[in-house]
Amino acid sequence: MKSLRLVVAVAVSLAAAPFALAQETVRIGVVQPMTGPVAYDGNIYVNTVKMLADDINAKGGVLGRKIELVVEDGACNPAQSVNAAEKLVVRDKVVGLLGAFCSTSTAAVMEVAKKHKVPLITGISTAAQLTEQGNPYFFRAVATTPMLGNAFGPVLPKALKAKRFAFLTLNDDWGRSMQASYPKAIESGGGQIVANEFFQQSDLQFLSQITKVKAANPDAIVLAANTQQAVALSKQIRELGVTAPLVGEGAWSSDSYIKLAGPAAEGVYGLVEYVYTIKSPVNDAFVKEFQAKLKENPSKFAGAAHNAIHIMVDAIRRAGAADPEKIREAMERTDYNGLVGNIKFDAKHQAYGQTVYLSLVKNGVPEVVETAQISKAQP
Amino acid sequence: MSASLTILAQHLLNGVLIGCAYALIAMGLTMIFGVMNIANFAHGEFYMLGGFVAFYLVSLMGLNYFAALPVAVAAVVALAIILQHAIFRRLREAPMMTTTLVTIGLSIFLEHVALLLWGPQPQSIPTPFPTKPLSFFGVYTTPLYLFCMAVTAALIVVGHVVIRRTRMGKAMRATFQNKEASALVGIRIDRIYAYAFAFGAALAAAAGAVLGGFIPVEPATGGIVTLKAFIVVILGGMGSFVGAIVGGLMLGLAEALGAGYMPTGWKDAIGFFAVILVLLFRPEGLFRRV
Repeated sequence: MKSLRLVVAVAVSLAAAPFALAQETVRIGVVQPMTGPVAYDGNIYVNTVKMLADDINAKGGVLGRKIELVVEDGACNPAQSVNAAEKLVVRDKVVGLLGAFCSTSTAAVMEVAKKHKVPLITGISTAAQLTEQGNPYFFRAVATTPMLGNAFGPVLPKALKAKRFAFLTLNDDWGRSMQASYPKAIESGGGQIVANEFFQQSDLQFLSQITKVKAANPDAIVLAANTQQAVALSKQIRELGVTAPLVGEGAWSSDSYIKLAGPAAEGVYGLVEYVYTIKSPVNDAFVKEFQAKLKENPSKFAGAAHNAIHIMVDAIRRAGAADPEKIREAMERTDYNGLVGNIKFDAKHQAYGQTVYLSLVKNGVPEVVETAQISKAQP
Repeated sequence: MSASLTILAQHLLNGVLIGCAYALIAMGLTMIFGVMNIANFAHGEFYMLGGFVAFYLVSLMGLNYFAALPVAVAAVVALAIILQHAIFRRLREAPMMTTTLVTIGLSIFLEHVALLLWGPQPQSIPTPFPTKPLSFFGVYTTPLYLFCMAVTAALIVVGHVVIRRTRMGKAMRATFQNKEASALVGIRIDRIYAYAFAFGAALAAAAGAVLGGFIPVEPATGGIVTLKAFIVVILGGMGSFVGAIVGGLMLGLAEALGAGYMPTGWKDAIGFFAVILVLLFRPEGLFRRV
């Protein structure tokens, strides 16, 4: 009997131990695609956040406690991302969420954040309507697709020496948002829209869509795709004899894209919120550490991860407590200077004030050819 | 050639390229179903492994591209034989639902092993072909596309000849039709099963190795390939080789022409819609079991 009581006591204290430990760390949840069509970029994001969290912990962490990242795979699938977020909030009791990469999945996870009253920040999802839903727990630390379009659309006809623009984008919130918002800005710069084509996230070959775009005789093609599809698209577009310059939102300036696409990546323009060739002290340090630890140059997804984790930690610091509600209020008052300049949030929790870049791949290096600053979103 | 005719020709060529690939993959699937009565949900993974092994051989081991393709297929065939011997042989008398569930589990297992071995990054197999496109009367293709079409078409013909003209093929068709009677006349059923599974896997792996030159392959690719293969097999008639060939080409052309002349966002829907139409009028598929 005595030994049984001893066993029960040990079991109970072992079960209670994780809760005791939980008091010691500040838990931040990460929902990212670790598998599936966007897995490559999702893993880059997670590795970056882990690297930066270790840095912050080495400097003493936040509020005198260490940051503990809990990562779950959302696979850029809305249902899976919701499950992942629920797990993080309910089981792991995270005080903040980073995620979920793809706009459609982020839209789903937003509801989880609202239900459980935990702040969610995304550095990647650009579909416009995410900040139109009045969700007080959602923050977007990246320019939306329409904001990027407004910043660079008028510039594109001159920069690309093109009049006829064709769209070829992913058939999801992001791609459709681009095709709905860019045309006006491009037309204001003297351009003309000649095609609006889509492909699915599961598509592996785009010969039919490319042929249709080619039939419209464009001077330039505007795309929205992540690394895996961007590589196939670039190659297949050139293989079908289309020589028009490509300009895209998504993976068009990252090392992995340039390496995998090879000669097809030359002369490709990227509309990016971050590129590793930015000249600034913060970025130089980041690039150096990234190259040393992760063995490649940081892509825009790494830059997004940098923004997201730093803004979250900055908010926790200013909140003074690892309390989701206080963190949310502190995040509203963000005035953060980091990788891409100054970031503040407007009334809809949309970031503004940061610099955005038009990159051009020359000899395998994405050089910055134009910059613009994101002004406060038009109502 | 007028512009619209050129575009049509381009769409047709695209459709044939993809259709040949669909046909090749579906032939393997229908063979496994016809002989072994197994709905192989892991079929796409054979495609994916064919692509990955070929990539591994060419870029990491420096093997010549044309040598790597058959070696990759052989590697996947070896795996298929092991799987047949270890798993499916024991399930010979099990109900179809059981073996189907096993193949689903196998598919998940193989996808995640690939994920562990090669990571999620998509890989294209480096080919020795020049990348500059060739054009005939304004229709564009590349040496690699032509090679893919030639190889897939050749393998389809080989498959057809094996089934129709060789003793092995005859034995397979006999086992299709009546397992017990075939055993009675002396056909080694267990050998036939092994050959059918290996041959089916070989066709899928060959498709993966050859197409991997221009369609990047990643662990998740298997799922989509399996889905397309099943669509083609159902369309063509489960167990019919001619059906797999005709169905594959039809799906490829339907997708290419559908995307070409209707909103591209609907491309996949058009292919499936065509399949639904056919099944409404011919539920058993276009061709009957051979």
